[in-house]
Amino acid sequence: MSTAAAPFSGGLAVTTTGLTKRYGARAVVDAIDLELPRGVISGFVGPNGAGKTTTLRMLLGLIRPSAGTGEVLGHSITDPASYLARVGALIESPAFYPTISGRRNLEILAALGRHDRRRVTTLLAQVGLGDRGGDVFKSYSLGMKQRLGIAAALLPDPELLVLDEPTNGLDPAGIREVRALLRELADDGLTVLVSSHLLGEIQTICDHLVVIDAGQLRYQGAIDGLISAQTAEVVAIPEHATDLARLAAICTGAGHPGRIEDGAVHAPAPPEWAPELNRLAMRQEITLAALSVSRGTLEDAFFAITDTEGHQILAHAPETEVTA
Amino acid sequence: MTGAFMSELLKLRRRGLLLGGGGLLLGFTALFTILGIENATKGATRGRGFHVTVAELSQPDGLVRGIERASTLMGIVMLGIFAAAFGTEYTTGMLRNLLVREPRRVKFLTGKYLALLVFAVVIVLLACIVSIVLALTLAPGKGIDTSAWTSSTGIADTWRAVWHLLVAALGYGTVGAALAIIFRSPVAALAIGVAWILPAEAILSALWSNGQFWLPGQLLSNFASGGSSSVSLARTGLTLVIYWAIIAVGTSMLFSRRDVAT
Repeated sequence: MSTAAAPFSGGLAVTTTGLTKRYGARAVVDAIDLELPRGVISGFVGPNGAGKTTTLRMLLGLIRPSAGTGEVLGHSITDPASYLARVGALIESPAFYPTISGRRNLEILAALGRHDRRRVTTLLAQVGLGDRGGDVFKSYSLGMKQRLGIAAALLPDPELLVLDEPTNGLDPAGIREVRALLRELADDGLTVLVSSHLLGEIQTICDHLVVIDAGQLRYQGAIDGLISAQTAEVVAIPEHATDLARLAAICTGAGHPGRIEDGAVHAPAPPEWAPELNRLAMRQEITLAALSVSRGTLEDAFFAITDTEGHQILAHAPETEVTA
Repeated sequence: MTGAFMSELLKLRRRGLLLGGGGLLLGFTALFTILGIENATKGATRGRGFHVTVAELSQPDGLVRGIERASTLMGIVMLGIFAAAFGTEYTTGMLRNLLVREPRRVKFLTGKYLALLVFAVVIVLLACIVSIVLALTLAPGKGIDTSAWTSSTGIADTWRAVWHLLVAALGYGTVGAALAIIFRSPVAALAIGVAWILPAEAILSALWSNGQFWLPGQLLSNFASGGSSSVSLARTGLTLVIYWAIIAVGTSMLFSRRDVAT
């Protein structure tokens, strides 16, 4: 497991030590040590069956851990009643009573949690269901159900929001609205933990990332840290193509194996190494026509640290950041 | 617990359940009352099926004959209502939402159960009122003397019968709730509950002479009819209380310890 130096200073909202869930001999979650910083949006990614939902359920007191300890908002996960009043959650697909209206479903949850029922109207409007709250849940589209699930998660005015696939079923406009909503909530100091298969979406909205695979923690830390560490490449194009081989040798000599591809030298290296390559090339009297850093995507990084084939993984196209 | 109680009452306050469960219960009771009175015969000998004699119906306890006859069906409806209320939490996946809002599971279970008891009491009492009003309205037309019904003995008999019926209905409901928690499905709970109470217990009690002392369906039916010569009301009530305690402890432990993975 790799952990990037955490640039987050607001303390921790969630910690676990050796958190494990076994069903028979099979460990679905295997000794995970989580540290989720407060006040940021953390992405929680992993292939199907990686143990994401089981981990979330353990944090929410729905599943008993087989071993290990954990704290949520400073309270032990063995006593969920001590912190769940400050936690909102949408786990897996949104589940409500199908023959009851969206509004009544929220009122039922508000009554159960002794939350202010007047918030229901506000929340329905906030998630764009202001005029459909009176309709029965089973008549909702998948996107509307998802919005109702988010409204239910926001009912307790939470300090920690746990969302499992919150943009599932939403149209592009809906996804953008959820993204804006989460950013707004995080800006107000809310801690958000988002589990998703949409790596591009995670890359867009999250500050912090947790990757698990086969029940084990593969990475946690700043999202940029993972992408840079796993996928960054310095790309240099010499003024004269005859210098390509020498330039590649310079890279290799500096510990970043250079390869020639499409008239450019590619060297896996952190972005900070690009100026050094420029200096090394100048010393060898090689003039660079272009020098850039290719960062790759979260998807590239994800595949680099997990064993998955990633059939269900979707991501945006790679981005390239020009630095020289 | 208050939150769970209030939230369950909110959930129960919906048209489908009120018209379906409540309507079914009122309908059965009304039907049995009407059939009992309309088929009452003048002769001294007791008829078959719904037949009772006019003389029997003119007794102080005649007013509640219709309700008593509907007790088993009323119990089955109550079993279904409780099974649906507890089982749908599993099948819809709503249980995970509910337990995030109220993680103290025994309190959640108790509040929900109490709300259902209140709901059950209201609809059973409504059914009794409907039956009583129908009986008082129809009886004179069949030549049934209702003066004994309104005597002090008649009123006491009626109260007692309503109380017995109410306890039995809640007993059936408790069985439905327990089965729904055990099997995590309203359909399975209803199917198993009805199969056990009707055919299975009928066969068992035919084969086992002491079955009337121990089989829950037989005990509930016996309590609803105010006890019998072979099994007293007191013994029936005590056995039911013991069963209720076992069910309460068992289902609470199961519900508290079991992972919510749906």
